[in-house]
Amino acid sequence: MKKITVILTTLVIISLYGCGPNRMYHYGDYSSTLYDYRKDSNGENLARHISEMESIVAESKEEGKRVPPGLYGEMGYMYMKTNKKGKAVEYFNLEKTLYPESRVLMDRMIKSTSDES
Amino acid sequence: MKTFTSFIKVFSVVTVIILLQGCGPARETKVKMFPGIYDESPRSILILPPINLSTAANAKEYYSTTIQEPLAYKGYYVHPYEVTSEILKQEGIYDAELLANVPLSKFKEYFGADAVLFTTIKKWDIKYLIIGGNLTIQIEAQLKSTKTDQELWRYTGTVVVDLGGGNSGGGVAGLIAKAIVTAVNTAIVDYVPHARRANYFAMHSMPVGNYHERFRKDHGDQIVIQAPPKE
Repeated sequence: MKKITVILTTLVIISLYGCGPNRMYHYGDYSSTLYDYRKDSNGENLARHISEMESIVAESKEEGKRVPPGLYGEMGYMYMKTNKKGKAVEYFNLEKTLYPESRVLMDRMIKSTSDES
Repeated sequence: MKTFTSFIKVFSVVTVIILLQGCGPARETKVKMFPGIYDESPRSILILPPINLSTAANAKEYYSTTIQEPLAYKGYYVHPYEVTSEILKQEGIYDAELLANVPLSKFKEYFGADAVLFTTIKKWDIKYLIIGGNLTIQIEAQLKSTKTDQELWRYTGTVVVDLGGGNSGGGVAGLIAKAIVTAVNTAIVDYVPHARRANYFAMHSMPVGNYHERFRKDHGDQIVIQAPPKE
């Protein structure tokens, strides 16, 4: 009898989880690491913001969600700032593929990475 | 029979409550309020640097970190603000006020944006009272087409937070304790979560974009009609 109660409780908990807010995107701590970077734009805060965006990409993929709009583009820009031009271009292209709306700006960004070198 | 009469009583009270709620603020459907956005169905939005009318100098920097997320959840492609604001800065545009005479088609050309979002921070402050205080954040947001320059959507979100910290009672000592609590509260007050709520209040009225599951299905949603902004 006890066993049945345990099983039933587990089932109820599982089904309740399914009713949680299933949001379109996974944003992690994006706004708080961005806020810290705005407050104090040092290298450490920039690195933390970039690594937060990297984990948002990983977790979005895990959850089967689309990476939030603009995120790849912003990552490309941050890589550009930290002199990783190859990675910057890679991410500008990822943004363009995922969101065709970004084409005009991403082409402009890709061009500006090659202009600078 | 007795249960039946009490049922009737409860029933009529409930009915009266429902009827009274109908007398709330005037409402209108989204499509009637914002027909332009349904005509154009913009896919992408460029967020312009906020206009700050409050006395807080850093409000703009902090507020601008809160806009991308709710817009994305409304189903629009949002151009990365860190990138676009930097480009605008390089062009000498720190503030959307400087854009008053720039034709919006420029943003289509340069960024590929279908619409631009103007935001104005109208209030971002704490009013100190003798004991306690109020934090007020008021944001006005306006979406404009880069195709036709017409306004597609406009709404205001206001959040007022009581920083009083409740009644601790206990005469003069209590008052002093309360004053200390208030001082501490206001010192550590973080505006950003409240700004997010103000955005939420403003943006719930915005018709959704093509990445949202209710795209082209929200015409009939009712929203509260706001009084025209006092200038």
